[in-house]
Amino acid sequence: MRPLLALFTLLLFSLSSAAQSTFSVSGYVKDAANGETLIGAVVYDKETKQGATTNTFGYYALTLQPGPHTLVMTYIGYANEERTIELTASMTVTFEARTNTIVAKEFEVVGERNEQNTEGTQMGTVDIDVQKLGTLPALLGEVDILKTIQYLPGVKSNGEGNSGFYVRGGGPDQNLILLDNATVYNASHLFGFFSVFNADAVKNIELIKGGMPANYGGRTSSVLDITMKDGNDKGFHGQGGIGLISSRLTLEGPIINDKSSFIVSARRTYIDVLAKPFLNPEGAFAGSGYYFYDLNAKANYRLSDKDRFFLSGYFGRDVFELKGSEPGSPDFRIPWGNATVSGRWNHVFGPKLFLNTTAIFSDYKFSFKGGQDDFVFGLSSGIKDYGLKLDFNQYPSARHTLKYGLNYTYHIYTPSTVDVASGDTDFDIDTPSKLRAHEAAAYFLDEFDVTDLFRVNAGMRVSYFAHVGSFNEYLLDSSGNTVGQREYKPGELVKAYYGFEPRLSMRYKTGPASSIKASFNRNLQYVHLASFSSIGLPTDVWIPSGKNVKPQIVYQYAVGYFRDLWDRKYEASVEVYYKDMFNQIEYREGAQPQDGGNTNYDALLVFGKGWSYGAEFFLKRRLGKFTGWAGYTWSKTMRKFPDVSEGREFPSRWDRRHDISLVVGYELNDRWSFGSTFVYSTGQATTLPVQRYFIEGRVVSQFSDRNSFRMAAYHRLDLAATLKNKPTKEVKDKTTGEVTTVERKYRSSWTFSVYNAYNRANPYFYYFTTEGTTANNDLRPVAKQVSLFSILPSVTWNFHF
Amino acid sequence: MKRASLLLTLPTVALLVGCEKEITVELPDVPTQFVVEGVVQPGLPPYVILTRTQSYFDPIDQNALSNSYVRGALVTVDNGSGPVALDQLCSSSLTPEQRALFAEITGVDPALLGSADICIYSTANTALYGEVGRTYRLNIEVEGEVLTSVTTIPNPVSLDSVWFQLALQRPDDDSLGYAWGTLTDPDTMGNCYRWMARRISTDEDGNAEDPTFISPLGNTFQDRFVNGLTFDFSFIRGRQFYSDQPEDSNEEAGFFKVGDTIAVKFLSINFAEHEFYTSYDENISTQGDLFGTPVNADSNIDGGLGIWAGWGVYADTIICQ
Repeated sequence: MRPLLALFTLLLFSLSSAAQSTFSVSGYVKDAANGETLIGAVVYDKETKQGATTNTFGYYALTLQPGPHTLVMTYIGYANEERTIELTASMTVTFEARTNTIVAKEFEVVGERNEQNTEGTQMGTVDIDVQKLGTLPALLGEVDILKTIQYLPGVKSNGEGNSGFYVRGGGPDQNLILLDNATVYNASHLFGFFSVFNADAVKNIELIKGGMPANYGGRTSSVLDITMKDGNDKGFHGQGGIGLISSRLTLEGPIINDKSSFIVSARRTYIDVLAKPFLNPEGAFAGSGYYFYDLNAKANYRLSDKDRFFLSGYFGRDVFELKGSEPGSPDFRIPWGNATVSGRWNHVFGPKLFLNTTAIFSDYKFSFKGGQDDFVFGLSSGIKDYGLKLDFNQYPSARHTLKYGLNYTYHIYTPSTVDVASGDTDFDIDTPSKLRAHEAAAYFLDEFDVTDLFRVNAGMRVSYFAHVGSFNEYLLDSSGNTVGQREYKPGELVKAYYGFEPRLSMRYKTGPASSIKASFNRNLQYVHLASFSSIGLPTDVWIPSGKNVKPQIVYQYAVGYFRDLWDRKYEASVEVYYKDMFNQIEYREGAQPQDGGNTNYDALLVFGKGWSYGAEFFLKRRLGKFTGWAGYTWSKTMRKFPDVSEGREFPSRWDRRHDISLVVGYELNDRWSFGSTFVYSTGQATTLPVQRYFIEGRVVSQFSDRNSFRMAAYHRLDLAATLKNKPTKEVKDKTTGEVTTVERKYRSSWTFSVYNAYNRANPYFYYFTTEGTTANNDLRPVAKQVSLFSILPSVTWNFHF
Repeated sequence: MKRASLLLTLPTVALLVGCEKEITVELPDVPTQFVVEGVVQPGLPPYVILTRTQSYFDPIDQNALSNSYVRGALVTVDNGSGPVALDQLCSSSLTPEQRALFAEITGVDPALLGSADICIYSTANTALYGEVGRTYRLNIEVEGEVLTSVTTIPNPVSLDSVWFQLALQRPDDDSLGYAWGTLTDPDTMGNCYRWMARRISTDEDGNAEDPTFISPLGNTFQDRFVNGLTFDFSFIRGRQFYSDQPEDSNEEAGFFKVGDTIAVKFLSINFAEHEFYTSYDENISTQGDLFGTPVNADSNIDGGLGIWAGWGVYADTIICQ
């Protein structure tokens, strides 16, 4: 704590000593074509090189000496824009950036802004340009944000059937996924094959995998901050696509010109409609089906230069139904999905102080209703959040950017509701306690230049979490039998936790295009995700901290070297990290979801710790006809639980020793572009039977220690080609016969992609069965590997106008 | 249009099917362990079947099965009046009648007893026969290792009634159905139960249709959700391990049938046995299951695997009509 205190003192001192005779220049940076504000654009003074970066709302503020200045706005993919001003008082300068036709032609899929690689204090932060994702190969042509970030070093996937991602050894629950500031609890559709984020509606994605700044909290591994488009305020436009399994349509336009705009984006799969004719109406699975849909909508209203309102919402549902017609075969229906609504108000108090107020509602629901003959079994879980956030950005002097704020969320968790009936008898299962909790945090951070070479981002977050009534606690004896109950009244405190979360990251410039960065953070997380299965299903249950479940605590230390090469055409980095994770949870060995009735919500859990360390190498070419990157990660992630494998340490499910990704793009001309990705990772750790024995004449498997076996490695090559229609057309004037070239209003493109180009059978899971018969005396156990996708070509037609 | 629909179907099919292949798995060397299957029930001699674990991929033939039985162990049971050694009984030295009785008590397949020399541990000492409410300590010394356990025979809980009811899978079906029971659970928390049934009506050869009792999936349950209630429940027939009976693979699979006579054993068991039988059931039923988590059977044997169980037995018979 002492170094931090020293840092704050230093900070306060430097604040008060800031010169008085300066003025500020502030304003927004927008795209001239559609009025969307641009996030992460840089505005700097040409002479002094003092600059600022636009925040999530496209707002920037600079402090300069009085006199003449030339301001330069730069943003990748856009032409630099210069503005000469005479500074005699604080003023507003709004930039309207135009796409640079030369730069825009270049293939730029994922880009850290210009000099951020070596200039910013942030480590392990990547901004992703959504517009360019479409040129990368995608499974069945569905552009997928979550899949794309998994090509970055330090970010791992679990292969197909799993869009949960794992950052530096942390679990999928440790990623803070924000959609316009609202938390999204389950970011996947179709059991993880697709993410819930419809790329057409998304403006910007920022991933922070290390050195999380103090304005983010509540999760311990990473932040994926997704900003939806605001909607074009210049004119009515649309875009969409028709793919093999789903179609999309997005419409946007002004409500009041230059004041207010909207965007609506919808997507639905039609696997169910397609599959129906092929399912025999009297066959084994007649009536089974699966579909998902989602809807994004957003509107904004600019009251004045000082006030702007946003209202955005997301709604998505997955529905999976299985109807068996075999005797005794089960029927079930599983709907799940997220809904989020956030209302935001930006207010500029003065050029140096910006406030964003957000009101948030988020709802995640999962339910399962199944039955077999007269026996009906239901299971449901979910989370509902009501939140309010106040976030201030302050630009007191050229050297400082301050962020401070308050967050509050009221959570209502339904950890797992069980409902059983057999015939006319309803089983005596208490309506389980919904769990209610207050979560609050206050934070303060300052990003400041100590010297021209040394920049520090220091912050502190204080968080508080209280589990409150109404709550029914089961009092258990040593063998887990209920001996009584204790009732907590509404609002009565059951258990409270709080903690300090210091965050520190530093950059020291070692040359004009190189720097060393270091970061330390302590993060607390008051919610845990408990999973019964190894593949991340929607049955995973969010469990809040409470009497027995302590908050997760994670410490992360990271150091990195960052360098731009060859006129910043290439950027490279090496980062090493070490992470300690405390109060991790798992279900106890052999626990099943149905065991959760009539007992405390945490009765099936066991607790332990984890740690992870690794090195990440990244080389990226960002300019030229050929662009792309290569990433390599070496890492190790272990866990140790007193109640798992008799307390021996074991590899975590998301432990991967080696992880390689290659992403290459080539822009042949203004019509054809090509993309390719390759991934390789060490096989997943799994638990297999090693011995067997007989009880009551049946074969019983005896399993190895947890995760002591490795599946085969995962590797895959994908290819894509995109053909756009001609950007211009020739129009012949009927009277003069003169031929002129005009830009087309309607643009369309075909994307052809091949998934798993060399048809690798990657393991999805292993299972064990027997072959032969006892009659022939040749019965033997065999191991089988199930793979999901063989080589899979697809085509998608996209359009916009 | 036709081509388009074909194109659209391809990924759908891929989504639903996937592909699978056999693989070779190099398993780590793990020392073998001793496995106990021991039961003590009212009015019957206690028995212990002692086997050892085998490597997972060893063939499951009769050789493997008979080789897994362990001979020469010192097995004692103490019912409170001091330890008494059980005798080693080997099937080759038994008369066919004794063998039949042996199969009846232990549930070991009579065919196997006839074809292989299988040894188990039991006693003719009636002082050691099971009594409700009594505690039984098991001690096994074998090849330098000691295995111990303890159990009690709980009070048996009777079923109010048992009956057969048509399943009506098809509206016109008038022969296939399930076995049903009505249970009134005592008003104390913590009762655990296990169901097993056997068709004792005879086939053409004059043998009982099921050579042993069968515990179908989900056979073990406790009263956490049903404490003090009276309710009906049903069970399917289940099947013998690797059965090659025609009625286990045709439309009769899983059903009892009009004309069957079913012997029912409804066991009252302790919590430790409940934990074992549920995890054992889970272990067996999730073999080859994608969504199942690896579950080891939760043994109550110190120094080994398996179960030493006290069964409170309620027996009844259903005539399917």
